[in-house]
Amino acid sequence: MRRGGREGTGARAAESSDGPGFSERLVTRTLERYGVWLRSGVVFLCSALGVLSVDTAQLPLAVSLLLPVLLFCGVRLYSLRNPLPFALLWTLDAAALVLTGLSQLALDGVGVEVMVAAIISISAITFQHEWAARPTTGIALAGLGLAVTALADILSSPGLEVSALVRILIPAGLSRAAFLIVRARARSADRAAAARAASRREAEAAAARRATEREYLATLHDTANATLLTVSHGDGRDWSWLPQRARRDLEALSAVPGFETGSIDLAALLSCVPEGEGPNRVRLTTHIEGPLVLPSGAGLAIFNGVREAVSNVARHAGVREAELRAWMDEGGTVVELSDAGRGFDPASVSPRRRGVSGSIIGRMEAVGGSASVTSQPGGGTRVHWRWHDRARAAWAGDESVERPQNAPAPQSAAVNLIRKQLLFGAQLAALLISLVSQFSLSLHQLTAYQSVYRPGWAQTAAFVGLLVVAVAGAAYLLRGRPIPPMVRWCSLGAVLAVSATCALTLPAERLLGPEDWAFGLIGWYALFLLADLRVRVFAVFLGVHVGLNAVVVLLSASPTAEAAAVLGIATVSNCGFQLSVGVLTRVFHNTAPIAGTAAAREEELRLRERINEDRQKDHKERYRALTATTVPLLVGLGHGVLSPHDEEVRLRCGVEAARMRRLFAEGDSVSDPLLNELRACVEVVEHQGVTVNLAVRGQPGDVPVEVRRELVDPVAVALGRTRSTARLTVVWTSREVCVSVVSADCADGLSAGDTAGPRRSTPDAAVSVARTALGGSVWVEASWTKSTVSGSDPT
Amino acid sequence: MSNDAPVTVVIIDDHPAILSGMEAWYAASRRPVTVVASGGSVKEAWVEPGSSADVVLLDLQLGEEGLAFSSLRRLVDAGRQVVVYSMRDDEKTAVKCLDLGAATFLAKSEGREHLVEATLAAADERPYVPPALAGALGTNARPDRPALSAREENVLIEWFKSESKELVALRLGISVKTVNSYLDRVRIKYANVGREARTKASLVARAVQDGLVEVEDL
Repeated sequence: MRRGGREGTGARAAESSDGPGFSERLVTRTLERYGVWLRSGVVFLCSALGVLSVDTAQLPLAVSLLLPVLLFCGVRLYSLRNPLPFALLWTLDAAALVLTGLSQLALDGVGVEVMVAAIISISAITFQHEWAARPTTGIALAGLGLAVTALADILSSPGLEVSALVRILIPAGLSRAAFLIVRARARSADRAAAARAASRREAEAAAARRATEREYLATLHDTANATLLTVSHGDGRDWSWLPQRARRDLEALSAVPGFETGSIDLAALLSCVPEGEGPNRVRLTTHIEGPLVLPSGAGLAIFNGVREAVSNVARHAGVREAELRAWMDEGGTVVELSDAGRGFDPASVSPRRRGVSGSIIGRMEAVGGSASVTSQPGGGTRVHWRWHDRARAAWAGDESVERPQNAPAPQSAAVNLIRKQLLFGAQLAALLISLVSQFSLSLHQLTAYQSVYRPGWAQTAAFVGLLVVAVAGAAYLLRGRPIPPMVRWCSLGAVLAVSATCALTLPAERLLGPEDWAFGLIGWYALFLLADLRVRVFAVFLGVHVGLNAVVVLLSASPTAEAAAVLGIATVSNCGFQLSVGVLTRVFHNTAPIAGTAAAREEELRLRERINEDRQKDHKERYRALTATTVPLLVGLGHGVLSPHDEEVRLRCGVEAARMRRLFAEGDSVSDPLLNELRACVEVVEHQGVTVNLAVRGQPGDVPVEVRRELVDPVAVALGRTRSTARLTVVWTSREVCVSVVSADCADGLSAGDTAGPRRSTPDAAVSVARTALGGSVWVEASWTKSTVSGSDPT
Repeated sequence: MSNDAPVTVVIIDDHPAILSGMEAWYAASRRPVTVVASGGSVKEAWVEPGSSADVVLLDLQLGEEGLAFSSLRRLVDAGRQVVVYSMRDDEKTAVKCLDLGAATFLAKSEGREHLVEATLAAADERPYVPPALAGALGTNARPDRPALSAREENVLIEWFKSESKELVALRLGISVKTVNSYLDRVRIKYANVGREARTKASLVARAVQDGLVEVEDL
């Protein structure tokens, strides 16, 4: 079995679930039902015809032999819905075979012989499907059928007719082969679906992670970062609000991010937007037309955004009043916060400032809504949130999962895939049956009875004609392509011509007899050509084919009732069987959505599990990263252990704020992310009145994000502890990138004349850090050598 | 020219605030430096009294004209000592100015610390490498660059990063004098591969004479 790359991972994914995939289970279950029904139908029809063909004297015997067989079929049908013990079913199937064989010994007449042959032959075929999950049983039962036929043959007439056995053996083998082909296609569909689902799951899980990450960064920005920045600015103001604020920040950071499911009344949330404390208080005039019910994720995103926007009014607008309005319109929910403050030019805001882009707009976009800020210098500011009901529908399942607009598409694609594979399998199976039948039984018949045909060459030409059709079709199917309509209909015409030729060049009384090699074969050809179309088309073809032969028989000879019954049994066992296979392919076509839906449902569960898992893990990791740095600061500030009046505390707050700014800048898509992150840190310290002289030399290259973290961090710390001026440089050489800061007056523990490094935090750390102090100035340098083998360091 | 002789300068810059700042820095110099002429056009360097000034201080960005490389070339060809200073703090511009024969290149942000020293060095035809230029030379990846030793490159880059020869000396475990001699050697190597100009002839000749470089090093 071909298994490479993506398909391999898909196969593993499929196997990791419980056993066979949905398409395979569907195929096995459908075939079992089909087998039981087909056998029951054939047994019913054939035994009815058989009873009709026996003498009235033998009627009671015939009924007493055949009625139990029918009864057993009934039990088997019952077992489809209500499972019965395996041993019982097995015994009933075997008993039905033995009783059928006995009836050949006990009853007389050609009709009985044909009936027995038909029943045993169809049973040997359907057992391969009924017992698809237990192939040994299927094969053993087929073997029993062979034995019964052989025994009945030997006992009823001297000598064993080998061809009768072959007639059972070949269709049974073909039946098994057809099952294996269709199952192989089903498995391939399952694998492809699993691979596709796995990659979709990766993408959706990643999208969900990004959305949670955005929400987390926005929270961090509004809570800890804002608090620490304020402390680091450190003017001698009233700090009484600080402990409570620090404790609230801690709570916000330790809460697991993500959105609770369910709905929320935004009107109730908005009525408790904090107005701020002391001099930062903003008086809100609210006009809220409640209730405004929306998914809690969206509600919280608006609420948190409004909170940040209100604190922005206090910080930047220079006014102490703002108006908050919320209402519903036909598109959904709208919230608006406006002030008459000094306004700003949105184009001039640094892309690294997160208040608007992250806390208001990004947060809203992360849940599938939209937000915008309109402002101009001197013209006030208006912040506008909108939640569309359309978005609500698409997000109904789990709001944190980003879904493409055409959400049902993946599922219908899976259904189409399953459907295509199953029909393809059916066509392949029909082609195999056609070819094997043609070259075993039919070829044998054609050569054995060459003298019967008038003229002989016409039948040979018909044989070759069928072969051409098979080759043409196989040329497409074996390359995995559909048969083009032109080829399909030409081939079908050829097959019909073969049917007519064979019916007309064989003496009418021999039609459907041992000399007729074509009658049964024609149907298989038609099935292989038509299996992917509606079953009606195939039925019409079979009707034309049977009608053609019937007309020939009726016109040339008037058959007796017994002969007619024999013809009927032969027709039923041939064309009826083929028609039922045609119906079966249609069943596959119609039930593919069931497999698709079941697969989609299971996939949805897996996805949700995965997202929750990721979310928990990421949260733990993020919190661990904060425990070493921000959390102790907030705890200290919250419980009054650390005082904002202490310069050391203010410096630590500055450092943490710079580190967070770097983290916020990490996700920006810019050409030189390292410089972008450094600038984010520089903006924080410049805000505290430090002059930073930044210079870059060399050609910027790629630096992995984890290396950037290590490169920037020591520099951010040195910058954060600088009081007046610093020189920050980035030097790119072909082997190395080096970030260095010389701080003219750094509040660092290094004493003058010290020089340390280059040193790595751990032996295998990618980045080495060197520190030198001289007079009041401190020089910190972090460098990363690009190759894994660190070059000889000239220092 | 003796080391205490007064030096005359012509400043070509179209920004009055920068002009007055420079005059203040020169006034604070221990060795007398006189600004004999100044203005927003290169013409000032070609007419008296600017045409006889020892050093031309040239702002690379004059008005709307773009970079004044052709003015620099003509001044160098006339045998003038030109100190280029520029808002453009990128390595390509710096290296190109050296190629054209400028005595040295200064970033405007380095003016306070390095303008006087660079001017005096140009007047004495001594090499002078300020940090912005050192960074440009240390990361220069052009194929026609002179071959530098690992140590020379190292000194250039550390000087660029720290702007302090004392820090470089401490970091590398050498003396400030050694730091200076590495910087001078690099400047001379660049002069040696540069265009035929007064800077080249005088710098190389003086370096060989002082034993700063061996002839076979070049």
